[in-house]
Amino acid sequence: MSQNLLEVNHLKKYFKTGAGMLHAVDDVSFAIPRGKTMGVVGESGCGKSTLGRTLIQLYAPTEGEILFQGKNVASLSRKEFNRIRPKMQMIFQDPYSSLNGRMNVFQLIAEPLIVNKICRDKREVEERVAKMMDTVGLASRLAMAYPHELDGGRRQRIGVARALILEPEFVVCDEPVSALDVSIQAQILNLLMDLQEQMGLTYLFITHDLSVVKHISDEIMVMYLGKCVERAPAEEIFANPLHPYTKALLAAIPIPSVESCHKIRELLQGEVTSPVNPKPGCRFAARCPHAAERCTQGDFPLVETTPGHFVACDIGV
Amino acid sequence: MENEVLRIEDLSILYKTDLETVYAVNGISFSLKEGETMGLVGETGAGKTTTALGILGLLPERTARVTGGKILFEGEDICGLGDRELQRIRGQKISMIFQDPMTALNPVLTVGEQIGEALYLHNQENLSLKEIDAKVEETLELVGIPRERKSEYPYQFSGGMRQRVVIAIALVCNPKLLIADEPTTALDVTIQAQILSMICNLQRRYGTSVIMITHDLGVVAETCDKVGIMYAGEIVEYGTLADIFTGEHHHPYTDGLFGSIPSLTENSRRLHPIEGLMPDPTDLPAGCKFAPRCTKCMEICKNTQPGVYEEKGHQIRCHLMKQKDENRKRDALARRGKSGSGENVQAPEVKR
Repeated sequence: MSQNLLEVNHLKKYFKTGAGMLHAVDDVSFAIPRGKTMGVVGESGCGKSTLGRTLIQLYAPTEGEILFQGKNVASLSRKEFNRIRPKMQMIFQDPYSSLNGRMNVFQLIAEPLIVNKICRDKREVEERVAKMMDTVGLASRLAMAYPHELDGGRRQRIGVARALILEPEFVVCDEPVSALDVSIQAQILNLLMDLQEQMGLTYLFITHDLSVVKHISDEIMVMYLGKCVERAPAEEIFANPLHPYTKALLAAIPIPSVESCHKIRELLQGEVTSPVNPKPGCRFAARCPHAAERCTQGDFPLVETTPGHFVACDIGV
Repeated sequence: MENEVLRIEDLSILYKTDLETVYAVNGISFSLKEGETMGLVGETGAGKTTTALGILGLLPERTARVTGGKILFEGEDICGLGDRELQRIRGQKISMIFQDPMTALNPVLTVGEQIGEALYLHNQENLSLKEIDAKVEETLELVGIPRERKSEYPYQFSGGMRQRVVIAIALVCNPKLLIADEPTTALDVTIQAQILSMICNLQRRYGTSVIMITHDLGVVAETCDKVGIMYAGEIVEYGTLADIFTGEHHHPYTDGLFGSIPSLTENSRRLHPIEGLMPDPTDLPAGCKFAPRCTKCMEICKNTQPGVYEEKGHQIRCHLMKQKDENRKRDALARRGKSGSGENVQAPEVKR
């Protein structure tokens, strides 16, 4: 398929730990069309960030393939990979720790250009940095400022600028707004969406905030303990969630309206179990209100119920 | 009033260092009745946590100063009490749930010891060690932790479980007032829902009053009776939950906050964030603190502090309200002039 910028097939990433194999990402497949946004939601420890990091080769996948523009990035030589690396970038979660405190704003934004030897001379670097600062809404007077002088929103704008200065096609946004206040969060979300429109970017948007993910995504993937349990277009997943875990997640969001005042909700009991040497069967079975015996026996593959809506549970089907 | 647990009058707190003075809390007032929950909402640096620490007398000694106002707890001004007297109240009658369960616990003491500590220190009923132990176990079960785990250390617990331990510590003495400082911010949504419903249940059971500090309007909607919206150390809007969420008039900042949240029910392609940033608390604007970011800013806002306009308990600190107030009176007068009845006095419609 040519219009898919990124295709992921049976991707697995295991980590070796003292207690056994940690299944961080376990057999995940999906595709993102060019110019679209795939949202990934799930609780902490479900493998969202590992997925994002594996996609841009910060981790080598244990198994499976990642096709970027039709090429399997995992099998490329270092030289070939370095050629496409600028096309895949990442915006990191914490604008407080992801920036080098000893570099000023100009140096931080120029660094990717210099590392990749993109510009011919110093003047070109300056021009491109100035343009990028303007694009992400950083005043030019801040060029010589250091990160500690800036607030979280501005720092995250630096993170965005660093990711976008190489004119990438695919950007992994790993919880880019969760460390920010709501009013600043909305500014950054608007910025990311405007830039997507202007530059035709494709996003993988990782977050635990369901209202954010609904706002920004075209398609949403719900992960639980390394597995994708449900994947559907954004509207569909909120209108018609099928997997019990998706339903529980949606029910757990506090809604800012008076109707939700003091209401009694059906709560999910228990907590996420350990992803080390998981038992066979549905990973959610231990917390699932509908769990039956068959849930702990066979694996549940993703099944397409309606066009574009995949779910890994037979209750919804 | 008799069952008023806490009343804060015109409280101001500043932090003074050699270099600068930070005006963290600037004249806030509110009151809390028995069994009520009040939400304090605002962005980072709005002064929410400083207010909480001020109530508990836990402000940093050298830099922080309470420059004015009263904190009346059960009718007694606890502001400026000595350490020994505060100790009597703190942990027993007023307790606090801290934000980050990962750092709020002592890693070298078992959770049982940490829960028992408050009981041991405030041992008014002269409980024996055995009785304290029993009470610790009972409290653990109350927050949903099996009693066998009391001799485990914090690192053996997950984030949600640790927060339950922190809540157990706060509740073990059956406090009159519980201050919950962003109790669920560090937790996942499913765990957040569990913890919130637990706090609500325990509150109903013991009639505890709660101050819920948060920046999540969803959490406020689910738990609170009253809400105070804080901005740059002031409460800019204060009212019941219904006033804040569905009321007719609002402070522009409240409108901005609501516009910033992506809605789960409606589809909008763009958010309407508040432009700009919170003012530097060392150098606050002379007039309304929100004026530099306000879309409805008028000339008067830039140099005159707005007063509080109140309507049936719903307080808004904004010059616009004064105008609306006057408009309404004028309208009412005009209508009275026309019809002569003056009975159907209505407020002018304001778009939200």
